[in-house]
Amino acid sequence: MMGATDQPLSRNEIRTLVRPDHVHRRAYADPEVFALEQERIFGRLWLYVAHESQLQKPGDFVRTRLAQHEVLVTRHQDGKIYVLHNRCPHRGARLCMVDRGSSRLLTCPYHAWAFRPDGTLSAVPHPKSYPASFSLADPQNHMQRVNNVESYRGFAFANLADDAPPLAKHLGPMREVIDNLIERAPDGEIEIADSSFTLEYHGNWKLHMENANDIFHPSFVHSSSVAPARAAPANASILDQDQTREMLLANGFGQAEWEGIKLNGLAAGHTFMTSFYKKGVLVNEERDPVVQRYRAALGQRLGDERAAAVLAMNRFNNIIYPNLIINAQQQQMRVTIPLAVDLTQVHVHCFRLKGAPEEMFHRAIRFLTTIGSPASMIFSDDVEMLERCQQGLVKQAGPWVNFARGLDNDRRDGDGSVGSVASELPMRVQFEAWVNYLTQ
Amino acid sequence: MTLPYETQREIELFLLREAKLLDTGDFEGWLALYAPEGIYWMPSQPGQTDAKGVASIIYEDYAILAIRVRRLLEARALVLTPMPRTTHLVSNIEVTRSAEDEFTAEAAFMCIEYQGDQQRLYSGRHSHQLLRNNGSFRVALKRVELIDCDGKHSPMTIPI
Repeated sequence: MMGATDQPLSRNEIRTLVRPDHVHRRAYADPEVFALEQERIFGRLWLYVAHESQLQKPGDFVRTRLAQHEVLVTRHQDGKIYVLHNRCPHRGARLCMVDRGSSRLLTCPYHAWAFRPDGTLSAVPHPKSYPASFSLADPQNHMQRVNNVESYRGFAFANLADDAPPLAKHLGPMREVIDNLIERAPDGEIEIADSSFTLEYHGNWKLHMENANDIFHPSFVHSSSVAPARAAPANASILDQDQTREMLLANGFGQAEWEGIKLNGLAAGHTFMTSFYKKGVLVNEERDPVVQRYRAALGQRLGDERAAAVLAMNRFNNIIYPNLIINAQQQQMRVTIPLAVDLTQVHVHCFRLKGAPEEMFHRAIRFLTTIGSPASMIFSDDVEMLERCQQGLVKQAGPWVNFARGLDNDRRDGDGSVGSVASELPMRVQFEAWVNYLTQ
Repeated sequence: MTLPYETQREIELFLLREAKLLDTGDFEGWLALYAPEGIYWMPSQPGQTDAKGVASIIYEDYAILAIRVRRLLEARALVLTPMPRTTHLVSNIEVTRSAEDEFTAEAAFMCIEYQGDQQRLYSGRHSHQLLRNNGSFRVALKRVELIDCDGKHSPMTIPI
């Protein structure tokens, strides 16, 4: 165990972990650092919890994770969304055992205390056995609420802090990617798919967030799927219009991609890439009849010019700090949930564009399977590297991790920075924000 | 339709052969068991009927499986270094005939996988739709239902 002291790490000690071009391995491997992250990053920042399409009517709920807590996200009779700790205040029992459902009341199976979707106590059996001091209205007898819940255009976020800044302030310009995802729907509405994957890896949560904006690794890490895809005949599959093969091929990065993909970072720690997958990996978009129908439907609502502008926004792996990744073009989303310093869950989702041809949704589902399934020929190799990083970083030998690539070419403009030429800028931006949050 | 014992036995041996090909790392031999339009399906939800609107852990036809198999043989596949070893057990086999040359074989399975000091256990039921082919069979559809198909997973590599 490293750095084991009775005192939590001081702010100055945190600052010494990050240099302009290096980060200390303790950032990934030290349980004390992890505890501080839980307190000051996951305990204070807005975290995605649910999409409102899962909570259409009062009583609808989903069970999910908010940082290290298990929570229920509910829609109450007042139309508002509540986030409740999944625990009965009577004896402390974990209350709900399903991932989603709809119920007017949430009843604890132990002694049948029954709660409304806003967490308030509706009834207890045999009330006369409780003392006169016992009150249904006493907040102590209610399911514990997370104080801050806000939605941005259907994306519900919660914040565990006592007082939180407005969600819109944290999202900042990253709202554009949520806007863009919604604008891509011919009906102007999206719906989260009813199927998703949960993957678990033995590594620190930050490794996944860094990898998602790392443009250098695909050529190496994914070569074992790129090479067979290159050798395979085109259009041989009877299932997917060649989508899987195209997706595997797309990781065959060379100098053109390393030098052509732009990386952007914002002070809050958000990062994204532009000009990624520019040929359109879902399908050859210029010739595909489904895309033609889709473009026509979108043009009908937005006008052709606006529709073209919406579809032209090409930003891949938009990372909303600390743990949300959105791809508007392919209607994909990932949520990274840290469980321990060396254990992380990744929830992989996709969306339906309402009003678009059903085949568009099938392609989003196919994308989810190809890149996010546990048996993915792509993600499995990523996860292997994340785990090998963790295995190396727990060792004392050589304490520093290098993220200097591209340092001489980065530019700064306004509140953000831009990197090109295969830069490790996203890691630098994420760690600059990391130090800021941990030392506030 | 009652099935002659010999046919039942032939199909049992076919399933055991598939398991052995996987356990001995003969993935090309395994792929050759599939019909040219054969499909391998591992759903992500119990009882899943929709393969297009619901994500699957694997939903691949021969052409995509061929890419998967070639990757298994690529020396560079990171997740296959070291190469996992497996033991596939197939049991409780029930065979029914759906047409003169078409059979369905349902079975329970277990697969123990060993890689880099770690052992993992997969289990569930699978069904094969088999077509009679030159004295043997070809797989038209293999459906693998893991008991934890909708649970949390680590990366999966060797087919089950």
